[in-house]
Amino acid sequence: MTAPALLSPQHIAMVDRGVSVIVASRDAALRPSIMRGVGSTISADGTQVTVYLRRSQSRQLLQDIEAGGGVAVVFSEPPTHRTLQLKASTATLRPAGPADQPLLHKYLAAMQHELAQVGYGPAYAAAMLSAPLEDVVALQFTPQAAFDQTPGPRAGAPLTAAQP
Amino acid sequence: MTTPLLPAIRSCLEGAIPAVMATCASDGTPNVAYISQVVYVDEGHVALSFQFFNKTRENILANPYASVLVLDPVTARFYRLHLRYLRTETAGALFESMKARLAGIASHNGMADVFRLKGSDVYAVEHIDAIDGEGLPPPAPRPGQLHRLRQCSERMAACTGLEELLQGALACLRDAMGIGHAMVLMLDAPAQRLYTVASCGYATSGVGSEIALGHGVIGMAARENTPVRISHMTHAALYSHAMRSSLEAGAHHGGAEPPGMDIPYPGLPEPHSQLAVPMVAAGRVLGVLFVESPQDLAFDFEDEDMLVTLAGHLGAAIDLLQATPESADGATPGATLAPAVSGAPVRVRHYPANDSVFINDDYLIKGVAGAIFWKLLRDYTQAGRTEFTNRELRLDPSIRLPDVADNLEARLLLLQRRLQENNPPMRIEKTGRGRFRLCVACPVLLEELPG
Repeated sequence: MTAPALLSPQHIAMVDRGVSVIVASRDAALRPSIMRGVGSTISADGTQVTVYLRRSQSRQLLQDIEAGGGVAVVFSEPPTHRTLQLKASTATLRPAGPADQPLLHKYLAAMQHELAQVGYGPAYAAAMLSAPLEDVVALQFTPQAAFDQTPGPRAGAPLTAAQP
Repeated sequence: MTTPLLPAIRSCLEGAIPAVMATCASDGTPNVAYISQVVYVDEGHVALSFQFFNKTRENILANPYASVLVLDPVTARFYRLHLRYLRTETAGALFESMKARLAGIASHNGMADVFRLKGSDVYAVEHIDAIDGEGLPPPAPRPGQLHRLRQCSERMAACTGLEELLQGALACLRDAMGIGHAMVLMLDAPAQRLYTVASCGYATSGVGSEIALGHGVIGMAARENTPVRISHMTHAALYSHAMRSSLEAGAHHGGAEPPGMDIPYPGLPEPHSQLAVPMVAAGRVLGVLFVESPQDLAFDFEDEDMLVTLAGHLGAAIDLLQATPESADGATPGATLAPAVSGAPVRVRHYPANDSVFINDDYLIKGVAGAIFWKLLRDYTQAGRTEFTNRELRLDPSIRLPDVADNLEARLLLLQRRLQENNPPMRIEKTGRGRFRLCVACPVLLEELPG
């Protein structure tokens, strides 16, 4: 079982706010697959993470996850490069539905704010994160390991239990 | 999903949104991480920056396959590069150009202390996926690049002298590419230094200012024979500092040299983009063509392509114009007597240790150009000679020109320009190919100081 305090409130808040999210897996020959998510959300206690992907952009990745390749997911704030990596050996996939639409809208708005700070306008962010609902799948997992991935010599250090 | 070739997506390697890379450990655990640089090496290879011993590093050494996601900075379309790790380079052109670029990126991010390049990881690009998506319209192609290149080529090909050629090249940059700040530096190979022979867009020309080989963007481009392009930099950037400190060091390298010999480097006080391209002819680096801008992202890879092409043409033309047909100009001109002059005499001092020359205590020039000027003045005062040939300078042991690649024309041009800018009552004018005249308008007192 995952310790409930794997992620600190600060990390949960960063993921909840909506920052860049990238998902990776691998196939049976250990060849990696990768795609950017078009949305994400996290439960208040940090134990349930959902990342939205476009099926048409992520065929190999989704196949690898379904085959049990596990997931590695990074969340990063574009202006500060503050980065968190989560890993899980299993994850589930389901088609997105109308109930997910508000989350996708909220995520896009948050990313438009983040990308504006590095010089990209709202139309660019909208094109980059375009997510027609019929093409979107929701990836859900419980993080089993978490790493501080902020660029620098400490990148990759496992997170210790969150402070009380 | 289509499969583009690497050259078609070069612009995706330049955006401000960094690329991300997936790798896989030998136990099957995937990993994903941001990477500072994905650099185009050639049609089949990219290089990634290796800065830290981290999980990505550990994984690719155990399992060489990687997937890298890049993003077009204009259309917002994604491309996935399937890569296989080949080797790590820790010296040479690729490494040095990535190191220079990283210094620019790091200063842009306020992370200059954190980022240090340990190596350039070279990967084979096995396959590229163009990822489905709506995207934005592609940028209008820059029309007429080839035509502009033709105009530059024609203009440079028509030049008959080095000064005209260098000014023509700078005018080409201005007119065809809209580049307002540029300089041309020639390499003095025995001294391991580059000296400025022409510039445009600066408050002072800086002709005669020097940079040590291997220092800064310019010195690195010459030493490694590679273009060095930095798209984001601030006044705090390492390489700008390296350039200035190398100039400061250059003013003191002779030990017993008299003070006041620093010709200020003319560059922008706060450059944001810089591009230095070596001028190569017959396999030899002749010097560097350097451009800069106060704007971020001023030069892209197409500007680099254009500048490399122009620098090749410029290098070949410089080489040709310096190869004076000696047989036609071999004879030493007859001793035409110098016209009589009057007025207050000018005192010219020469320090043989470094061939530095001062006119009435003002520093003029040193090195080979200083030795040339001293010889001309000696012949003028002792024999009344005013007409000279390149050939006799090449044969004169006191000038110590290198046997090959002496850059004599460039050194004469440097001397000519320094005389114009300091405006003493003497000048040099060309009288034909491989011939020139010393014009002196007042009496001259020569003073040789022991080294």
